[in-house]
Amino acid sequence: MAEKKLILTFSPEQVNTSITFRLARDFDVDVNILRAEVNERGGKLILALKGAGEEIDKAIAFLEENKVQVGEVARFVVRDEERCTDCSMCISICPVRAYRLDRESWKVVFEQERCIACGLCVDACPAMALKCGDNTTQMV
Amino acid sequence: MSKSYEEINSKIESGDAVVLTAEELKAAVQEKGVERTAKEVDVVTTGTFGAMCSSGAFLNFGHSEPPIKMTKVWLNDVPAYTGLAAVDAYIGATELREGDGMDYGGAKVIEELVAGKPVKLRATAYGTDCYPRKNIETYISLRTVNQAFLFNPRNMYQNYAVATNSSEKLLYTYMGKLLPRNGNATYCSAGQLSPLLNDPKLRTIGMGTRIFLGGGVGYVTWEGTQFKTNVPERNGVPAAAARALAVIGDLKQMSPDYVRGLYFHKYGWSLGLGIGVPIPVLDEEVVKNLAITDDKIFAPVLDYAVQSRARKPVKEVSYAQLRSGTIDINGKEVRTSSLSSYRKARDITVELKKWILEKRFLLTRPVEPFPAEQVQKTLEISSRTEA
Repeated sequence: MAEKKLILTFSPEQVNTSITFRLARDFDVDVNILRAEVNERGGKLILALKGAGEEIDKAIAFLEENKVQVGEVARFVVRDEERCTDCSMCISICPVRAYRLDRESWKVVFEQERCIACGLCVDACPAMALKCGDNTTQMV
Repeated sequence: MSKSYEEINSKIESGDAVVLTAEELKAAVQEKGVERTAKEVDVVTTGTFGAMCSSGAFLNFGHSEPPIKMTKVWLNDVPAYTGLAAVDAYIGATELREGDGMDYGGAKVIEELVAGKPVKLRATAYGTDCYPRKNIETYISLRTVNQAFLFNPRNMYQNYAVATNSSEKLLYTYMGKLLPRNGNATYCSAGQLSPLLNDPKLRTIGMGTRIFLGGGVGYVTWEGTQFKTNVPERNGVPAAAARALAVIGDLKQMSPDYVRGLYFHKYGWSLGLGIGVPIPVLDEEVVKNLAITDDKIFAPVLDYAVQSRARKPVKEVSYAQLRSGTIDINGKEVRTSSLSSYRKARDITVELKKWILEKRFLLTRPVEPFPAEQVQKTLEISSRTEA
């Protein structure tokens, strides 16, 4: 099983097409919508695809054939290690427990792969050590 | 068994002092008991790193040519108080930059000064016969100013509340972002490492006590504002916000590791500050106090949805529970966050221990003790005759 988190960009003309439905129906992948937004510039969708590597590749090829711009998101939230004081404010804010306190070092560990780009932690960090990463900035 | 300050200091000077961090001391007492630990150990280092809003710095800029008696001062466009002599000013941690919301404040100015960065100074004046100049704009840094010292009226609170939010809406507070329906709970004391919880009656900490302040040497100058003693106690320590201290220290000695501007979204700025206090092991009583652990220190959970000074505690929880990651509120498992950094508090205890072992830091007997009993007053709407 592989997992890829993608950010899809739709032109304003495309926002009415049922791309995500076809993705789920026609390919053997789990589709989990993390964020969706539509404005005058079109639509953005962040989703996680889970399945066999080749099925995910086929799904991406389908999206590209349908003129959807596909980007892979490696990092939703970027932490400035210099600014982080290891206070742990982010820990109880995060709905998916991407942050945890290591009880040996008392440092806050961030598990990027759990992050779903909700952005709740960003304005909760008093040290201002958290920023939206990659191309998710406009979304959050 | 008892030791004097003089004996302890002469052991430090001869390199024979036994110094433990607060964590090491607690482990030693559990292993060897109070009596033996009191004999073997001379000094214990305590520490805390957290948001301390009642903080600020005095600066003397030096005289310009021609000279100016500043009547308004801005540092990076943050107003500083200058109702003092010609070129003295006080920059408060919570002061906001003028004109553009909350994105920059006094605590950040202090952090930038400590980091060695230049800061823009702007001042205006009405002009006098002895101070003819009416305005100035220049850059200053810790290298260019005469004096720069933190002078904080209230730091290192002895314990504090745990914040939660029972309402339906998200709250932004000085205790951080509080999720609706008791979605989380935040706390801010260093608990078992915290200086004033390790010497609950302030027997060894008083006016003049030499401390670790922001990475440099500082001193306790006064009782902190809102110092109070009439709070419930559990296991010999206050189970709510109680005593606090006013402190002073040279900004030029400090380090950005321990002096940080902190921004609480939609609330404002505070200074993240690291403070360490050495406790002299004068006798067994001192060790008994130092032996306290997180499971024996309690704090009240307050509902910040109640916008009143008279919030009734929802319940009391221990720091061991808080640090476990969740507490129970009305049958719901609620996740916790600390606003103070236990990691940095611990670093401070280690650093201060090193200073003492390297004979760079001696202990001081308090010049004056602080009040044994004191009540905190409230502010009422009063007439001239009532006040």
